[in-house]
Amino acid sequence: MRQPPHSGYSRFQMTARPSRRDVLRFGMVAAAGLTGLTSLSACAAVPGKPDPNKPQVRGGSYSHGATGGGLKDTLDPHFPVTNPDIARCLQLYEPLLRWNANYEIEPSIAESITPSPDTTQWTIRLRDGVEFHHGKTVTAEDVMHTLAVVTDPKKTGSGGTELASILELNNSKIVDPRTILLQLNAPYAVIDQLLAEYTVGVIPTDFDVHKPVGTGPFAFRRFVPGQLSQFARYDNYWDGPAWVDELIIYDFADDAAKVNALLAGQVQSIDNLPNYLAGTIEQQGASPLVSESGAWVPFTMRVDVAPFSDVRVRQALRLVVDRQQMIDQALNGFGILGNDMYSPFDPAYARDLPQRVQDIDQARSLLAQAGHADLDVELVTSTAVGAGAVESANLFVEQARRAGITVRLNKADANVFYGDRYLSWNFAQDFWNTRNYLPQVATSSVKSGTYNETHWDDPAFNALIDRARREPDLARRNQLLHDAQEIEYHTGGYIIWGFKRQLDAYSNLVQGLQPHRYLPCSAFGFKHASFVTPPT
Amino acid sequence: MTDLATTAPGTEAAAPARPNPAGSAWLKWLARRLGLAVLTLWLCSVLVFFATAALGDPVRAILGKDYATSPERVATLTAQLKLDEPVITRYFQWLGGLFTGNLGESVANGLPVGSLVGDRIVNSAVLVLVSALVMIPIAFGIALVSANFRGKRTDSVIQIIMITLAGLPEFVVGILLVALFSTTVLHVLPAVTIAGGGAPPWSKPASMILPVATLVIAVAPYVARIVRSSLLEVLDSDYVELARLKGVPERVVLRKHALLNAIVPGIQVIALQLAWLAGGVVIVEYLFSYPGIGASLVDSVRNSDFPMVQVLAMTIAGVYVVVNLIADILSILFTPRARTAIAS
Repeated sequence: MRQPPHSGYSRFQMTARPSRRDVLRFGMVAAAGLTGLTSLSACAAVPGKPDPNKPQVRGGSYSHGATGGGLKDTLDPHFPVTNPDIARCLQLYEPLLRWNANYEIEPSIAESITPSPDTTQWTIRLRDGVEFHHGKTVTAEDVMHTLAVVTDPKKTGSGGTELASILELNNSKIVDPRTILLQLNAPYAVIDQLLAEYTVGVIPTDFDVHKPVGTGPFAFRRFVPGQLSQFARYDNYWDGPAWVDELIIYDFADDAAKVNALLAGQVQSIDNLPNYLAGTIEQQGASPLVSESGAWVPFTMRVDVAPFSDVRVRQALRLVVDRQQMIDQALNGFGILGNDMYSPFDPAYARDLPQRVQDIDQARSLLAQAGHADLDVELVTSTAVGAGAVESANLFVEQARRAGITVRLNKADANVFYGDRYLSWNFAQDFWNTRNYLPQVATSSVKSGTYNETHWDDPAFNALIDRARREPDLARRNQLLHDAQEIEYHTGGYIIWGFKRQLDAYSNLVQGLQPHRYLPCSAFGFKHASFVTPPT
Repeated sequence: MTDLATTAPGTEAAAPARPNPAGSAWLKWLARRLGLAVLTLWLCSVLVFFATAALGDPVRAILGKDYATSPERVATLTAQLKLDEPVITRYFQWLGGLFTGNLGESVANGLPVGSLVGDRIVNSAVLVLVSALVMIPIAFGIALVSANFRGKRTDSVIQIIMITLAGLPEFVVGILLVALFSTTVLHVLPAVTIAGGGAPPWSKPASMILPVATLVIAVAPYVARIVRSSLLEVLDSDYVELARLKGVPERVVLRKHALLNAIVPGIQVIALQLAWLAGGVVIVEYLFSYPGIGASLVDSVRNSDFPMVQVLAMTIAGVYVVVNLIADILSILFTPRARTAIAS
């Protein structure tokens, strides 16, 4: 600002009516600015990286800046809508099982879950003495109530669709206050993966969304949709209480405001740091938190309409993609190579299939064989698909041109893209978060899947999936899933060029947040965060 | 109106019951202005309602990806929003609601609009008012200094600074201020207006400094320049020359004779700027995460949450109309010629 410093000084004096000391401090700041001492005062205010071996200490009020949110915000444990909603869910509620940092299932409120030999019956054993925030002990009755709410046919929860299709709650029974026998309508080998989702948080039978209680590390205090939510440490948390006394999650509609709040020390962490800022915040007292994720932004080709119904055309389009360039440019380098298969964290992920690389000659020859030497297609994209979508679509146009393919880009409005023609675009894009293979297939790659953009319905594939769903033996199941992936690798309708890396950031004044494959910001694990210097 | 137009000297005879004929003429003038204001607001309500009713399909906006897959939720929402009733019926229901304070429910979360926007409108109003209270003396002060040093170096430096600042969009000013005082250079002021526990923003006055400063910098240059040029016009007039010749000190000339006469254009431009602030505050609130109407308005438009958009749009329209009305009244009061024209 080229204003003379004294005019700025008088402005502050008038707005804030500061005390004499404040005025003096402003005066000093102005003086420092005048004499070129700014670098000195900046150094004093920017904290260095904390020593990772320093023992953690208790206390302090911790603030997190969550991306997005708005008037749609809710505290409903089973219908989180916005990103801050998910952050809130993770503080208040807990599912029976949970995903660890490596995206593996570990026990939570349930200490074990064991199938019958044919996987049509599952026995859930609850951990002893877990209490809700209002003091009631978690019992089998609460769990049955939760499952009934989540799978309610009139209002099925976000994580309840698949559960509702396999659970027979009427035939399930409470064996004793800590044991439940779940009856399924068909063999299902991976129900543990459905019960580990944050959308299946356990609630008490007397749950009231206006005074929400769960078993999570933080208890509810206050909630203003679109602005903030406030929580207090739950001292009775079964897995060790949190370090900080209080947690406030603020909604941030604007990326710049979010990052500024972090750098000014008003919040201690933020999720979804814009990729291009990863380098600059390190000079300003904050550290990026980079995690692997299984989130993907595929191109979707409908396998039931020409020209994509010809598998040679689909393979040719997969071969024109320069995957590394897409990651470098569409994701600013924050990505992991994709190989046209999803669910990279699933133990069954087919790592042995060769990494597909750009091969223009092969693509041209496949197209010539298919009689589409001068292929001309329309690709529908939209900013609504999320970060990296429009950028990768632009790159695809460029890359396909090298194989003589004309790609016409149609940038659709959000309401149009996800409007009537969503799920019937011939060639478009979509976004998916981290899922393991079978849950992903159930939503995207079978005829009954809710979001089967590619209209994928392959008899051989369906048979394999059907067998895998019933197969209790892990090794045999993984072999079936591997074979299913191989079919998709050779003939599928997705072009999966990469998986996003999750980028969050935290202030150097706090420690304890670790990379996590499941959700942003250490799976919103503020329970693990603590202030480096105990606040007074 | 008629008596005013036909027989100006005969007003006393036409209204013998009234002791103060000027007062009655004033009342009539005021009533007419108020009537026009109400008419304007009504036209606004028609525009706002029909523009938002055609804003797109709110049901589709709410359901997004689920619109195609869950027809039963589409039906429920359509019924809940009464979208099956004719648009005219809905308009009058809504207009009636505006008067009775029944503003409807937000489409996004089902809470009453009144409780959602109440605090936010107050927060925004405080931000605009504080900015105005800071800006007016600064702008007039700058104008006085500038006019006093007309043609000299001080004046030209001030003018260059003012024109530069006027050319900067408010979000650029805001970003620069944040970088300067909060993040990059110094670390003395809060970068965003977030108060712990949802307390009103003024409970932490320091966090309001940067948003207020941004608005002041965005608006003050215009006011200062207009006031300066009207001051200069007045300073060149005959009566000011006469006052100087009489030996009145230049300071008094400037303050008493010139400033009062330059105030009227100042009021008009301040009113325009204040009215602009009511809408322009949106961007500044966004930048500072200020809990005002700005973010809610943007969010509501994105959600096609038309009950919210309608109330917020009507609020902004109301601010425009009221501020302009007040400015007109003040202008008349400060202009002796206009004052007598109405009264006679």
